[in-house]
Amino acid sequence: MPFASVLFAFVVGAVVVTVTGGNPIDAYQGLLCGGLGVACTQGENPALQIANTIIFAIPLITAGVAVALPFRAGLFNIGAEGQLLAGAMACTALGIKLHDWPAVILLPTVLVGGMLAGAAWAGIAGVLKATVGAHEVVTTIMLNYVAQWLLRFLIIGGPLELRAGTSKSLPIGEGARLATFLPNSDTIQILGLPASVYRVHVGLVIAVVAVAVFAILLWRTSLGYEIRAAGQSQKAARYAGVSVRRTIIVTMLIAGAFSGLAGAIQIAGVDHNLTDKYFSDTTGFDAIAVALLGLGSAVGIVLAAILFGALHAGGSVMQADAGISSSLVLVLQALILFSIAANFLNAIRLRIPGLGQAPSAPAPAAVGAALMTEAAVAPPQEGTTST
Amino acid sequence: MSVITDILQLLLTANLWQVALVSAVLLLLPALGGVISERSGVVNIAMEGMMLTGAFFAVWADLIWHSPWIAVLVAMVAGGLMALIHAVVSIRFRADQIVSGIAINIFAAGLTVFLVRAIYGLQDVGHVVPAEALPNWDVPVLSAIPFIGQVVFQQNVVVYIALILLVVVEIVLFRTRLGLRIRAVGEHPQAADTAGLNVYLIRYGAVITSGLLSGLAGAFLAIGVSNTFVPNMTDGRGYIALAAMIFGKWTPRGAFVACIIFGLGEAIYANNSTIHVSQYLLSMLPYLITLVVLAGLVGRSTPPAADGIPYAAGSE
Repeated sequence: MPFASVLFAFVVGAVVVTVTGGNPIDAYQGLLCGGLGVACTQGENPALQIANTIIFAIPLITAGVAVALPFRAGLFNIGAEGQLLAGAMACTALGIKLHDWPAVILLPTVLVGGMLAGAAWAGIAGVLKATVGAHEVVTTIMLNYVAQWLLRFLIIGGPLELRAGTSKSLPIGEGARLATFLPNSDTIQILGLPASVYRVHVGLVIAVVAVAVFAILLWRTSLGYEIRAAGQSQKAARYAGVSVRRTIIVTMLIAGAFSGLAGAIQIAGVDHNLTDKYFSDTTGFDAIAVALLGLGSAVGIVLAAILFGALHAGGSVMQADAGISSSLVLVLQALILFSIAANFLNAIRLRIPGLGQAPSAPAPAAVGAALMTEAAVAPPQEGTTST
Repeated sequence: MSVITDILQLLLTANLWQVALVSAVLLLLPALGGVISERSGVVNIAMEGMMLTGAFFAVWADLIWHSPWIAVLVAMVAGGLMALIHAVVSIRFRADQIVSGIAINIFAAGLTVFLVRAIYGLQDVGHVVPAEALPNWDVPVLSAIPFIGQVVFQQNVVVYIALILLVVVEIVLFRTRLGLRIRAVGEHPQAADTAGLNVYLIRYGAVITSGLLSGLAGAFLAIGVSNTFVPNMTDGRGYIALAAMIFGKWTPRGAFVACIIFGLGEAIYANNSTIHVSQYLLSMLPYLITLVVLAGLVGRSTPPAADGIPYAAGSE
């Protein structure tokens, strides 16, 4: 079913390109070349394109988990972006302040710091949800913007700015950087290009571990059982002795840690400093598409992250080769979301408990629905049977 | 201390309130749309995208037909069409309204930039000349009133339209049969259906209205306040409008008060050189205030009972 959503998006996307006077075959050839390194016409290096796709996919995997886990608990975390920025900011701040620490200590410090910052950011939404019933969709939207403005404050005339007017932060210390798999050398040639251009970094391993932790946590631990129980039915979970309030808060904390990790990995592995490109970063929103398209499963998340990573990497090649705006990628992504949400609801409902009850029940049929009825109106009550 | 006295002095100047009202109206129009949509039971976090779409098409149409009124019409239709997508996906297909809203916002951000390149190539979109922008208009007689005259009656035409719409929406929602029906559909669609109301029709109407209003706001931003289209020029206003709607407890008058507060904050900053707090920190305030409101520290804010729940005729 997810394949059908993607197919639908590409068909409609082709119509959009044609209507606006472009050639969809050229456009998709550019996307394929930029994303997967095949069908290139302008002499692009396939290995480099694949490397770029992987680099884009790494934070999408981690942030995708940050959306998928709360889904299982019946929570809609659309704050992955804000949590990611919180993680990136914490990682950068620590990486600058402690720049002379040895890598053995500094690298774990900046990564864990990013996770804690992300967890705190999401924790606000979790606590508000668990205590006063404030809807997490709304609170995480607000927190996204608070993070956005905090970022601008920090690097435009703020404490982390490199020099006045640069809109970027100081670089993090050498010890805070994640190693790349290939030597960072301009003299060693690999597949016709200097080794330093292939920037695939150890964050890939971290992301794969993260997604494995997600799967184990969800299916092999009692916390995972509680998360799934709370997502199926808060009432039933309470009868089973699950503290729904606690589960909500813990789920959001863990999700935030995954998002924060995604941000920290981006800083430690790719950028090494905060720049104005983070103002328009959309990884946390792409992560929603990744989680939905991946049907909330570990393997699905990885595959969906690679797809969106390829679309991002392919967008710039498409723009350069076919002269079609890389924003087509956003259009495709929106179309995928529409078609998942509208047409393939049943497929998702069967697999993600948070998205509704039995497939035959006509309503409530959606995340928002399930949440707004039971949880949004009143804060979750602790069952007395659990004591 | 001087900062506080400066702000107090500023608050006594008509200029400040005049600017604040413009900022407030940019939030009020999408907020009114949000109130209507959510009162009918359809969650709408897509005002940002609808407004952005309206902004692009207003400039596009104005540059072609050289008339701000045609541009406004085109912008509203464009916003309405985006809303129609949201309506079809979330009412007809009973999809998750939050996912659909996110998709609309991503779609609008992508489509507008895509169209800029497809239509204008690598050039800028181009500027709307002042004669073809949405005009300011001084209301005869009333604009001569000291203070109030400058603040309320020496404004852009869209400001007057928005203030009239505020009153109209407030009256329609709470004083007319149509408003009762909209609210009934949002609170208890099954009962409304049993009473003979067409739940789908009312929800479609409410969602599309929110798109028309957001499109108008986009047009005001692009060819009234600014004079060109810049990617992502709405800059979160649709989300602040969402915040204003929640702050105002899903009522037009409440949302208006929130919009005035947020608009005033923006205007105070723009007009005051003695505030040394970063503008970026101040920009967080609407969102932080909304979080505080949601935390229940300033009274509870509860959405309509059936907000976000797709309706299927025949279900219990």
